[in-house]
Amino acid sequence: MEFKELPPVKEQIMKCVRCGKCRSVCPTFAEIKDETAAPRGHVFMVGMLRDGKVEPTEDVYKRLSNCLMCETCSVNCPSGIDIHELNAAARSYIYDKNPSVGKELVFDTMWTRPGLLKNSVRLMWFAQKSGLQKLGRTIGITKLLPGDLPKAEKILTDVPYRAAKNQLGEVNPAQGEKKYRVGYFLGCATNLLNPEVAKATVEVLTHNGCEVIIPKDIKCCGLPHIANGKMETARQLAAHNVKLFNSYDCDYIISDCASCSSAISHKNIEFLLGGLKIEDQAFEFADKTMDLTKFLIEVLDVEPPANPKAKKIRVTYHDPCHLANAQGIKEEPRELLRRIPGVELIEMKDANRCCGGSGTFSLTHYDMSMKILDKKMDNAMMTGATKLATCCPSCMMQLRFGANRNNWDAEVVHPVVLLAECYKKTPALKV
Amino acid sequence: MDFAAIKDELAKILSKDKLLTEELDLMYYSYDSSFFTQMEPSVPQAVVFPTSTEEVQKVVRFAYENNINIIPRGAGTGETGGCIAVNGGIVLDLSKWDEIVEIDARNMQVIVRPGVIHARLNEELSPFNLFFPPDPGSSQMCTIGGMVANNASGLRAVKYGTTEQYVLGLEVVTPTGDIIYTGGMQARCIKNVSGLNLTKLMIGSEGVLGIITQIRLRCWPKPKARGIAMAVFDQLDDAPATVLDVYKAGILPSGIEILDSSAIKAVNEFKPEINLPNCEAILLFEVDGNPPSVDYEGRQIKEIADRRARSVEWATDPQRMAQLWEGRSVTASAASRVRADGTRVFAGEDVSVPLSKVADTLRAIRALGEKYGIQVVNYGHIGDGNVHTAPVINPEIPAEVERVMKLVDEIHHLAIAMQGSTTGEHGVGVVRRPYAKQEHGQAVEYMQKTKAAFDPKGIMNPGKLF
Repeated sequence: MEFKELPPVKEQIMKCVRCGKCRSVCPTFAEIKDETAAPRGHVFMVGMLRDGKVEPTEDVYKRLSNCLMCETCSVNCPSGIDIHELNAAARSYIYDKNPSVGKELVFDTMWTRPGLLKNSVRLMWFAQKSGLQKLGRTIGITKLLPGDLPKAEKILTDVPYRAAKNQLGEVNPAQGEKKYRVGYFLGCATNLLNPEVAKATVEVLTHNGCEVIIPKDIKCCGLPHIANGKMETARQLAAHNVKLFNSYDCDYIISDCASCSSAISHKNIEFLLGGLKIEDQAFEFADKTMDLTKFLIEVLDVEPPANPKAKKIRVTYHDPCHLANAQGIKEEPRELLRRIPGVELIEMKDANRCCGGSGTFSLTHYDMSMKILDKKMDNAMMTGATKLATCCPSCMMQLRFGANRNNWDAEVVHPVVLLAECYKKTPALKV
Repeated sequence: MDFAAIKDELAKILSKDKLLTEELDLMYYSYDSSFFTQMEPSVPQAVVFPTSTEEVQKVVRFAYENNINIIPRGAGTGETGGCIAVNGGIVLDLSKWDEIVEIDARNMQVIVRPGVIHARLNEELSPFNLFFPPDPGSSQMCTIGGMVANNASGLRAVKYGTTEQYVLGLEVVTPTGDIIYTGGMQARCIKNVSGLNLTKLMIGSEGVLGIITQIRLRCWPKPKARGIAMAVFDQLDDAPATVLDVYKAGILPSGIEILDSSAIKAVNEFKPEINLPNCEAILLFEVDGNPPSVDYEGRQIKEIADRRARSVEWATDPQRMAQLWEGRSVTASAASRVRADGTRVFAGEDVSVPLSKVADTLRAIRALGEKYGIQVVNYGHIGDGNVHTAPVINPEIPAEVERVMKLVDEIHHLAIAMQGSTTGEHGVGVVRRPYAKQEHGQAVEYMQKTKAAFDPKGIMNPGKLF
């Protein structure tokens, strides 16, 4: 579809009355503090692009990319504008006119092929373990990386050797009576960087009567592509995943990754595939998708076994933007934590403010990302918690780096990992 | 002086991070919230972000010596084109200069730089049990500098008045580059009648007389309790009548707000959880003070409003109060929600009329909307006769734009005919300048002479006010 004809571009730009409400909530604007970084400024610039008053150049892209895509502006916009969708559409439009070899390599070649992506992460693991990364840093090779990557590569720490998919089967049978057949949308980052989360997800689901299907050929959810102007690639990835999951006839399709669950949500699937030939299939898929935390509370109503001897742990929770803003899921992860014996949930100030990770943002805008992260860490550390829980691998990576950078020894953890620990000593009831 | 030369000279005065000169960046400074700038954006030649009085002075002196226009700007949330370089020039964005210089709690005062956000100021004052009472709907984003320059007020003007009542003194960089201190800027007293009142002259001057660089504000003790009564009416006329009934009973609420049926729809679309009842009009009465007096006045208002209203809800639960108040404060931009393919425009949005004529005005505005085939959403500070009208149009349809401009013109004339004013709190800027003669007659000449005394070269925010 032509840029001008995309629904948000066609229908929403005129809705912006430039009231400036977005200036008061945008984490990026709070750092830059000039109109070029205000979400209403982005809407204005997308309008200029649409009307041909500015050319789709890299200069415009650069300004539009001063945005975390955290959606805080969109959920707070009194006029109801999906500002992040406008921004994504414009980035894609500009990208199409100014293809970049680097991005082609990362987003079209590597990030669309799970095998290649896995091998790259393996390589990273080897570099870390063999000391090559340290050597690279010492002799300055990493400085040759493009953009902010020389500074940002240190965020990518502790890559595990074995990906989750290598440790989990395609079909994971339910323990006890089978209640649901659940498709598990195992995202790239969980698979490659946080396999312990994937294992916990499967443990918790199977323990609670779900047969868990992990299709072998899952591809990226496409969110990094949307954020980086690769809309067409995101569409192709989404279409692939739609067909793949539909072939399994699942009752639900869940993801433990906030970004993936927002990418496969009805709203985003409609944004990507609405109006195309595949629409009916896409909606059949999207109607079954749900974030793991919501599924555990609303559908399974999980109740971990009581354990009076459970060790008390102080946990604070960080809302991932793709969960709280994109899907309005705030209460479910908290409720899940409260149900875990021994957990004392302590709210941090501005828990729903972005951590500055935002997928690839920390890699492309390192300094800004760190300013936003430091504010988050100040609020998190004030709670005195020993665990910092969140539901997004990108946030987890960023927060781990933040804890490290601030010499804070709290463990960054997905709530499902804490929940899985409750079941370890309690076998499922046999019916 | 050509553009390249201006850029070079400014680069000598300010560091790189305090200056925008690339054309693409400058475009972002071509608008505020007004419909006028949506239709006719004006791009400045440079944008600067000074964060000291000396930096402002240097920029102003440079501009004065070279006959370059200077346009002060806060958060750009104004609705009149007041901060736009309609005749070119340098925009002075003061929103980054957001330092709270001193909270003098014992003397109940605070000194701020112009870029401090209203909501933040009250957050910082709260631990001292103080507050700065004017409460604009744009509290989360507007700056104190902008509030002073426009004499802003908002939802609590009924009891607490407008910004001018709280400004004790100002530091101002004049158009010739002098630094002056007005009123009690350098004193700490509350009462002060010494000298010509230049403070009052600067307040609401919309940047045509100088740049406000520091503000000394008087604060008030924060009320201990608060409650909100929501009265639901089936007849529009019953709402203004109830307001007069409440005053007659000797009650002065801190705020009295009205939302008409369209505004109610818009709020419910934006935040369904607020769940306002469908009706012709809603009045929100806010009372504050000591707990017993809040309780007493709340009950009194309920009793009075019950005579005409379908129902009255008295809320003291903080969550419900926050919901109701937020519902009202976001109406301005949420008004767009009443039409899928339309948007509200900020034009003709701020008339002020006598209390006795509010009902007639609301009816007349509705009739004008029908005459021009344009949906209008009415809401506002009915307690002081300040009606906000939101025409909802599709700005991409030229015929609708033409009709709305006629509608707005008639609304402004209506206000004057009602013995009111074209603007109660948003200001004149560019958009209400055509009515200056009609509103002020020969006094406009004296306004122009006053400006000339401050600004002999006419470089300070030209094209505004009169």
